[in-house]
Amino acid sequence: MSTWINVVRYHLVSRVNYLVLPWGWLAFAFAVDIVIFAFIPVGHHVVPTARGIVQVQDDSGRYAGGMGAIVLVFFAMGVQSVARSLPFALALGVSRRSYYTGTALLAVTLAVGYGLVLAALQAMERATGGWWLATHIFRVPYILDGPWYLTWLTSSVTLALLFAYGMWFGIVYRRWSLPGMLAFIAVQVAILLAAALLITWSHAWPGTGHFFVTLSAAGLTGLLAAATAALLAGGYATVRRATV
Amino acid sequence: MTAAISVAGLTRRYRGHRALDDVTVDVEAGSITGLLGRNGAGKTTLMRIVAGQEFASSGSVRVFGASPVENDQVLRRMIFIREDQAYPDVKVGHALRVASWLHPNWNGEVADRLLADFGLPESRAIKKLSRGMRSALGIVIGLAARAEVTMFDEPYAGLDAVARQVFYEWLLAEYVAHPRTLLLSTHLIDEAAGLLERVVVIAAGRVVLDAAADDLRGAATRVSGPALAVDEFTAGRPVWERRRLGSQESVVVAGPLARESSVRT
Repeated sequence: MSTWINVVRYHLVSRVNYLVLPWGWLAFAFAVDIVIFAFIPVGHHVVPTARGIVQVQDDSGRYAGGMGAIVLVFFAMGVQSVARSLPFALALGVSRRSYYTGTALLAVTLAVGYGLVLAALQAMERATGGWWLATHIFRVPYILDGPWYLTWLTSSVTLALLFAYGMWFGIVYRRWSLPGMLAFIAVQVAILLAAALLITWSHAWPGTGHFFVTLSAAGLTGLLAAATAALLAGGYATVRRATV
Repeated sequence: MTAAISVAGLTRRYRGHRALDDVTVDVEAGSITGLLGRNGAGKTTLMRIVAGQEFASSGSVRVFGASPVENDQVLRRMIFIREDQAYPDVKVGHALRVASWLHPNWNGEVADRLLADFGLPESRAIKKLSRGMRSALGIVIGLAARAEVTMFDEPYAGLDAVARQVFYEWLLAEYVAHPRTLLLSTHLIDEAAGLLERVVVIAAGRVVLDAAADDLRGAATRVSGPALAVDEFTAGRPVWERRRLGSQESVVVAGPLARESSVRT
């Protein structure tokens, strides 16, 4: 246990990577979104009619993709958490198992903490009527659109998923370099393709579509959590025979 | 003798060649052992397997009586600094702090004094360090950690003669102040000879010599001078190595020289 905590502290020595970059990057994306929407007038759709053009006020607001920034940063953090820091940890007498567990612990802690901040930002966005510009940056239709605790849960799970995914990439790269990573991507594409073909042959597209349409945000979060667990297990199996 | 490290029948095969071939060697607890051999002889591979960084193809490795592979109980009592040790993208001081968290016997005072002796600034980013400075950092971490089993792979790569002397002095001082099992690979045999209590020589993945350093001293003698004189002097002795450059010759013969012959001119 104390070794796990020490692995977490080891990672956090690179403060910039884990504490500054995600928020700096998000702040930048936020600023870009705000600037763009500040120059686009709110919800004025022009609609031509037989007797001239009318303006229609649209109150549903506008959605921006700024959230994607922090998700990407989590993927990158996952990749470099193994690719760059594993050799020195092993030199200091940390087992791969402890290293991996500690790193996963860091991933979950960061995801839960940052998920909470995202939920708070979403609450602020709601309170200010979309930053006074009817702009939704921290509200994603359907996925992050519920009460604050669901936003917290879903965003935490999503961030943890991306970190775990990046971590597995990093380990694969450590073990088999570029050819291994390309093979890793190829296998994933092949699996998706096989799934698509399977659904097509069994005429299950309507059923599949129905499943996702009727899936609640909480249900989706459950699926993402299961995927995170699977990715963590895959990374663990891969790191056990990694050499430095 | 109690063995801190016990290697038996260890073989490591890579595609097409054997990096280690049936290596059997014991390293006594509380000793300084030198692992000698040419580049590519298998020194680093042997140490990596002992440190659990690489896996054996066959054979067994025991450290404190247990396998080190993924064994936290054993690994936390060990440290292994490589010649090409990779560090994360942090500053010197950060790396030292991380090492101090993971090694309970860490001695901060020793680390500070070593940093000063090597002229290594704590605030410097590791990736900005020169080759020799990186080696110095590895030495600081390896010695200040005071791990029960301390392994250095070519610890002085890139170090100048003064810094190497600092290393040798500190190694002995630290070994006396806090005895531990030290295993270091080197090819600067002459310089390190005075430090080593035991010498293990490997060549092409096999142990070719494993002996106490005291037994080896005087086991061979180098004779150099004009070729004709050298030939006359060494006639009848088993010759291990003969090098000739112009009319000068240098020959290594087995055994110590008798006293009267060493003063002959």
